[in-house]
Amino acid sequence: MKLIEALETLRTEPPSGARPFRVSLVCSFTPAHLQTFLQAHLARALPENRVQMTSGLYGDFWGNLARLQQENPDAGVLVMEWSDLDPRLGLRSLGNWSPNALEDILKTARSRAEQFQENIQRIARTIPLAVSFPTLPLPPVSFTPQWRASTFEQILRNEISALSLQVTQTKGVAVLNAQNLDQLSPLANRFDVKAELNSGFPYKLPHASALAALLSNLVQPPPPKKGLITDLDDTVWSGILGEVGVEGVNWDLEHHSHMHAVYQKMLHALSDAGVLLAAASKNDANFAEEALRRADMILPRSVVFPVEANWGPKSDSIRKILNTWNIGGDAVVFVDDSPMELAEVKAAHPQVTCLLFPKEDPQAISELLHRLRDLFGKSALSEEDAIRRDSILKAQYQNREIAPHGEVSEEFLKTADAEITLNFAKEPLDPRALELVNKTNQFNLNGRRYTEKEWQDFVRDANTILLVVSYKDKYGPLGKIAVLAGRLEEHTLVVDVWVMSCRAFSRRIEHRCLEELFARFDLEKVILNFVVSPKNGPTQEFIAEILGNKLTQPCLISRTLFASKRRETFQQVLELANG
Amino acid sequence: MADTRARLERCFAGVLPALSGAQIAQASPATVAAWDSVVSVTLFALVEEEFALEIDVLDMQGLLSFASLLKYLQEKMGETAA
Repeated sequence: MKLIEALETLRTEPPSGARPFRVSLVCSFTPAHLQTFLQAHLARALPENRVQMTSGLYGDFWGNLARLQQENPDAGVLVMEWSDLDPRLGLRSLGNWSPNALEDILKTARSRAEQFQENIQRIARTIPLAVSFPTLPLPPVSFTPQWRASTFEQILRNEISALSLQVTQTKGVAVLNAQNLDQLSPLANRFDVKAELNSGFPYKLPHASALAALLSNLVQPPPPKKGLITDLDDTVWSGILGEVGVEGVNWDLEHHSHMHAVYQKMLHALSDAGVLLAAASKNDANFAEEALRRADMILPRSVVFPVEANWGPKSDSIRKILNTWNIGGDAVVFVDDSPMELAEVKAAHPQVTCLLFPKEDPQAISELLHRLRDLFGKSALSEEDAIRRDSILKAQYQNREIAPHGEVSEEFLKTADAEITLNFAKEPLDPRALELVNKTNQFNLNGRRYTEKEWQDFVRDANTILLVVSYKDKYGPLGKIAVLAGRLEEHTLVVDVWVMSCRAFSRRIEHRCLEELFARFDLEKVILNFVVSPKNGPTQEFIAEILGNKLTQPCLISRTLFASKRRETFQQVLELANG
Repeated sequence: MADTRARLERCFAGVLPALSGAQIAQASPATVAAWDSVVSVTLFALVEEEFALEIDVLDMQGLLSFASLLKYLQEKMGETAA
């Protein structure tokens, strides 16, 4: 992003009624263009919010850090440079660089690192933090020539490395990956000495832009994709099955097709991290099946489901796969070596991210693998990721109806040995709850998304009740599949948040939730803060079922009305903890 | 020449969005109350980025107006000032 683009982005007014998203930038230099870039990136990442940024006093990193907690923003962004560990590591300080001063610099740096760690531990309990450790080259402090590593520099880097490790493991903190920044902003092109001396801003504009983009991703990570659909010929393997046969396709060094094997390895790793994998190929189905089952495949056949191998348009195969997975195109990546096939799919499914597999260019394939990591990357793996993938994969063997919109038979529900677990505990805050709230579209009461800080504040409010629902039946667990949160006002529950994973549809869990809430809190009525959205059709259907096709926003469900409309449920209910 | 003027106007509009086209042509710290040191720093950064050049720190003090910056840029680009 260029500076002029950033300024123009900031001139765009957010929608009326946009909720503020307050960010505190903590650094000791003049924040200037870094703040502009960061605010612009965040404004693009949060189009429904009004991004507001504050920064502290020049030269007072530690004071600014201390004030962060008082400001209580939605997120804190901490940008540390070498001079924050000891002013002598910056150009503006004229402190001594003599060899006999080096030990003292290290001593100060150690002390500052400890101070930083203590502050982070405390602040991160209530404020989500994004942290960047020194990005600028060290000044020529040590007596060694530049090409030789000095003990001084190694110790200093070791301090930062140890600090970075500790901070990375701190809950609520996201640390910038230095390697990613190195790729985007070469070290030699970062430091702007003239600007540092002239205005106290140390970064060249491209470096400020790259750093801000990554910090923005840390504050507001793009939602990870859920599924990858891959072509087979000249993508998973080299060669065309119909031409060279099952034994003729290859993925090895000998045939100069090794990068196809690396691609398979990547797909396998993504699958193990919970990503859904499917294949869409213009091929004979039996041939494709036989090739996928070759013993030397790196990618196990068992993790690819479904496999759509036919001679029809790829867009039709993609449609079938999306229906089987029951996820939207915006959560899916399609990889193919043919630009024509990619264009055909993109025209039919504009929300699907279509990526070219550059079969002739190993370097470009390597870059594609990095891109896939970014698209599917998560801050942590959850049990639910594996459960979701496994429930889809099991379905192929159980010949079980996955499509959630269809009505499941009464007999199926009765014999499923279903068990739901209700967890009303608010602490420790379960990150899966917020994840569900922010990624669920179809059964979502009003589509409201929350920042981490907004969610923390909402849930921790004394009047808020939080319910996290888990489900399992004899076919296996579905994990945590529903979240409901609202405010209890005597015998009325006002529900602000209610989402349910599409994997749990058609099991009448929504009926069971209301049934349990009416009973547990002796409710006279439930008010659902319901808003019709283009995506929440299943929620609308449920509410219409209860209200008799009259959708009101918000909608009120009395105890009597619910008793007359509720469907019979068969789950055994367990309760984990009280809120 | 018109291109240089238009590009410079875009820089001014970026950093001083409240100004009209006519006000930009007359802009200087004396005519624009909002013009402070942050505006100067941002404006010079924008101009350096837009025209891919470096402005000498010693020259900056004399370039604190639209007219002087336009003249400076036209000379740098080998154009004759109007």
